[in-house]
Amino acid sequence: MPHFFRSLTQGCGTAALVISTLVLSAPGAYAEEAMWPILKEMTFGDRPIQEEDGMVVLETPSKVEDAAIVPLTVRVPPSVQGKLKSLTLFIDKNPDPKVATLTFGPAAGTGGERSFSTRVRVDNFSHVRAILETEDGSLHMTTKFLAAAGGCAAMQAKDPDADTADMGKLIVRNFPPALESSPIWAAQVMIKHPNHNGMQLDINTAKFIPPRFVKEMTVTRDGELVFQLDGTFSISTNPNFRFTFGKGEENNLDVEIVDTDGAVFKNQSQPKGS
Amino acid sequence: MCKPNPISRKTFLKVGLALAAAPLLRYVPAYGAPAEVSEVAPGVFVHQGRYEVQSPDNRGDISNASFVVGSEAVAVIDTSGSAAMGQDLRDAIRSVTNKPIRYVINTHMHPDHVLGNAAFKQDQPTFVGHYKLARALGTRREGYLTSNKQMLGDAAFAGSEIILPTLAIKEPTTIDLGDRTLLLEPQATAHTDNDLIVTDTKTDTLFLGDLLFSVHVPTLDGSIKGWLALLDEMGKRKAARVVPGHGPKTMELPQALEPEQRYLATIAADVRRQIVEGKTLAEATKTAGFSEKDAWKLFDQYHVRNVTAAFAELEWE
Repeated sequence: MPHFFRSLTQGCGTAALVISTLVLSAPGAYAEEAMWPILKEMTFGDRPIQEEDGMVVLETPSKVEDAAIVPLTVRVPPSVQGKLKSLTLFIDKNPDPKVATLTFGPAAGTGGERSFSTRVRVDNFSHVRAILETEDGSLHMTTKFLAAAGGCAAMQAKDPDADTADMGKLIVRNFPPALESSPIWAAQVMIKHPNHNGMQLDINTAKFIPPRFVKEMTVTRDGELVFQLDGTFSISTNPNFRFTFGKGEENNLDVEIVDTDGAVFKNQSQPKGS
Repeated sequence: MCKPNPISRKTFLKVGLALAAAPLLRYVPAYGAPAEVSEVAPGVFVHQGRYEVQSPDNRGDISNASFVVGSEAVAVIDTSGSAAMGQDLRDAIRSVTNKPIRYVINTHMHPDHVLGNAAFKQDQPTFVGHYKLARALGTRREGYLTSNKQMLGDAAFAGSEIILPTLAIKEPTTIDLGDRTLLLEPQATAHTDNDLIVTDTKTDTLFLGDLLFSVHVPTLDGSIKGWLALLDEMGKRKAARVVPGHGPKTMELPQALEPEQRYLATIAADVRRQIVEGKTLAEATKTAGFSEKDAWKLFDQYHVRNVTAAFAELEWE
């Protein structure tokens, strides 16, 4: 997997250093089972994690059609009371196994089903994990298997020139629920951004196109934090997020995105009702 | 009294063995046999590929490949899905003419149309393509070779390479085969971002590559809006015959385009409606365009991927 080693030199985070240790010490196929304990240790130390206790549910396609754009949805059932602290997503065998971490704020909402969806790249048949941290600090994990490969090395944009022309276009859309008094509303954020993972070859320079991806996204509702997302290049080209938030006064959403080049993109949803 | 000659035991066993073995012969690939081609117009030859996904059995023979013979030279238009198939195509050319193979033109990047290029290296031709073809193949090279080697198996894949074009077509360009010119026209993003169409001006034969699919479900790897717009334009053209990238050897305009236009328009309409309704990508892939299910071969293999691509494009409207 030559592309794998190149990604290590292009700054994909501490997880990559861990993986390189594993690979160098055990050349050839590394057991997937070896990944999760390391990732867990690094992210959560020795905190206990409840598994498959129904607090968090993961939806994945039964058949993956395009490994570069795999839709995932995390749902927290209405029965889960109280605020949520964080949500972490992993895809064990990706060059950067951490997909995203969401740190929730006061405007994240309570009192209904909460959810978060995005689209990811899957490099090699792998488990995907969602770990939810609830108000009391306890951790709950659910796992699914993704039978797909090649999503990281695959050419991402079908029309790279058109995408480049539109780069940075950021759309924020509010979905008011059928019952407007409902405490949980939904919204979508999408940004035209290549989310380069550093694994695409530029034939003109004979070098890999450097990684450039959405690093941070901050979503506020009427000035209060809904969540801050820390992302990696495991998120697909033209990052797309759909999420719930707590109903407020005006329900104006402000989104700010910063990528690894330090470029900042901002937009907001239309006024109440749009 | 005459006793009829009994069938000898040996003969009986031979015949029996032959009869028993006959079904097996269907599964033995005809290695080394020239590709079957039809002369669809004077000097214009087309090989029709199978309606299948790549396999060791079909050796990547899943797309149409053609060649045009001029008074001085031959041009090849697409080379099928493996070096082995490319070799069979070359043998078919040589069974028809000894003229030098000067041009190998690829209508677009997909491996089932380009992996046969390696069989023509010996002719030192000019490899020709859309000006975005080199970039497209360069970035996909590893992925295409890995996945095709896996699908074809080592034997059928052996010798297959990605060969980049050296002549990049940026505007309508003619090449001369001797008393015969081919007009090459690069297209805006449609099936892919590197589609090139070829016209043999002598017989008014238009090679559309994968801008035209018939029977085989279309595959979207560029822009659904671009493709629909282009098909509207193509429908206004006249040509004595058109050659699709997948489908019967020749077809007629504008009828040939209609099923594909319907397929793409149905996906676009279903997806747009679902986007307005706030549906997600995952939801749309379950229903969009499924009314077309019985109209196409290989629908189950490609349709959901087409919907995924269309959704990711149309949600930006």
